[in-house]
Amino acid sequence: MKNLWMEYLFGIVTVKVSGKGMERFINVLIRNGFYIWKVKRHGTETITFKMRLEDAKKIRYFVRNSGCRVSFLRRTGMPFLFKRMLKNSGFLIGAGAFLIIIFVLSNVIWGIEIKGAKPATEYQIRKELDKMGVKIGKLQFSVKNVEGIQRQLTNNIGDLTWVGVELKGTTYHLQVVEKNEPKKPEQLSPQNLVAKKKAIIVKRYIEEGQPMVDKNDHVEEGQLLVSGVIGEGENSKMIAAKGEVWGETWYMSHVELPFETSFKVYNGNEEQKHSLLFGKYELPIWGFGKPDFKESETETVEHKIHFLKWELPISYVHKTIREREEYTRNYTEKEAEENALELARKQIKSLLDEDAIIKDEKILHKDNKNGKVILDVHFKIIENIAVGQPISKETHE
Amino acid sequence: MAKKWGQRIRNWMANKMDLPQDVLMDLPRITMIGQIHIYIENHRGLLAFTDKELRLLLKQGQLQIKGKSFVIKTILPEEILLEGKIDQVMFIND
Repeated sequence: MKNLWMEYLFGIVTVKVSGKGMERFINVLIRNGFYIWKVKRHGTETITFKMRLEDAKKIRYFVRNSGCRVSFLRRTGMPFLFKRMLKNSGFLIGAGAFLIIIFVLSNVIWGIEIKGAKPATEYQIRKELDKMGVKIGKLQFSVKNVEGIQRQLTNNIGDLTWVGVELKGTTYHLQVVEKNEPKKPEQLSPQNLVAKKKAIIVKRYIEEGQPMVDKNDHVEEGQLLVSGVIGEGENSKMIAAKGEVWGETWYMSHVELPFETSFKVYNGNEEQKHSLLFGKYELPIWGFGKPDFKESETETVEHKIHFLKWELPISYVHKTIREREEYTRNYTEKEAEENALELARKQIKSLLDEDAIIKDEKILHKDNKNGKVILDVHFKIIENIAVGQPISKETHE
Repeated sequence: MAKKWGQRIRNWMANKMDLPQDVLMDLPRITMIGQIHIYIENHRGLLAFTDKELRLLLKQGQLQIKGKSFVIKTILPEEILLEGKIDQVMFIND
């Protein structure tokens, strides 16, 4: 027997015919090309059979001449199923909402696990993550990708040597390696303090040891400032000399600064593009058309979409296109000089300890050559010049 | 007279040329599967149908099928498939 899939697809109607001459009526129907099946007799004057929905719509004309009464009993098949589905659309909406909710929840950050960090560092990491928007309950799309998080964490937290960030399902796993900065060992071995540079002593602050120089003394590099040997003759004793000796030191700095410099800068014009990536095919969602930027740089962030624990071959791509512009900075002679001086100061500061003070600066030589300003600056600095030098017993004895 | 002649020629052709009779002579071809199915090709319309009896018009005479709980599974202009418990198949010539 023929299977009735096509009929089911287009709808099936059960028809009840009653009256006399039903056989004739059926003959008329089949001769006119209607397809009829499952003809059953109920009692003396009733017959039921099934036919296609589209045929049932055309039946009226033939009923009129037959003297039978026709009514439709049951409707099966897709069109009726569809109608019923619309009627009970609540279920459909529920199923849809369920899928969407699972979908959304699969892409939410549900946990952040930090391993290998001290509580203090962990707190710091959590704060930094908060700042980045990596919080429990946030969508993964709104967050930078794993490499970005890793980079920002290592850059912003000084105590970290390395952070491994891994996204497993809905949880971020952070593997932390902390910098174990060696603590300066308490120097108990005997030492002297010597000058690390040629200087004039400005002030002394000595905790332990025998001072060997006075204020306004001129010292050479390596000269003994504070001796670790105290007492005289038989009673002499060696200790670790401790203290600070501040001296005035001199530095020369040579800087060159061109009047005209060209930079590549972003001028603030940018365009955002959102799209979905199905395998290789990209479907834009928002942000159409090509921006008319002469020079531009594109930053692309890609997020994989998850469903429960599986990664779908669909990803969400967010592109930022920024316009770039050539910018030329022009200095007048005076500005160039000021900036060059500032540059020199920075250069000097990078060489010095943090607590050093620039006392005085003097421009020794100034020159304009080849579109550049060339400065030689002399700095007077007040800094701690004392450094420890262990006393070896051999030399002493 | 002419019709009779035609019949005779057909009969003769069927005999001599070894062609199936039902094609040439518009006879019904009846296929039965045990008692439960009967399949009739080349009928000329439904005459009566109840759950105990089916009568079909043929080119010559009628076919009466008797039995129990009949259901017409399929009916097409020249074919019919009947399901039920078939007791008798009878040709009625008048």
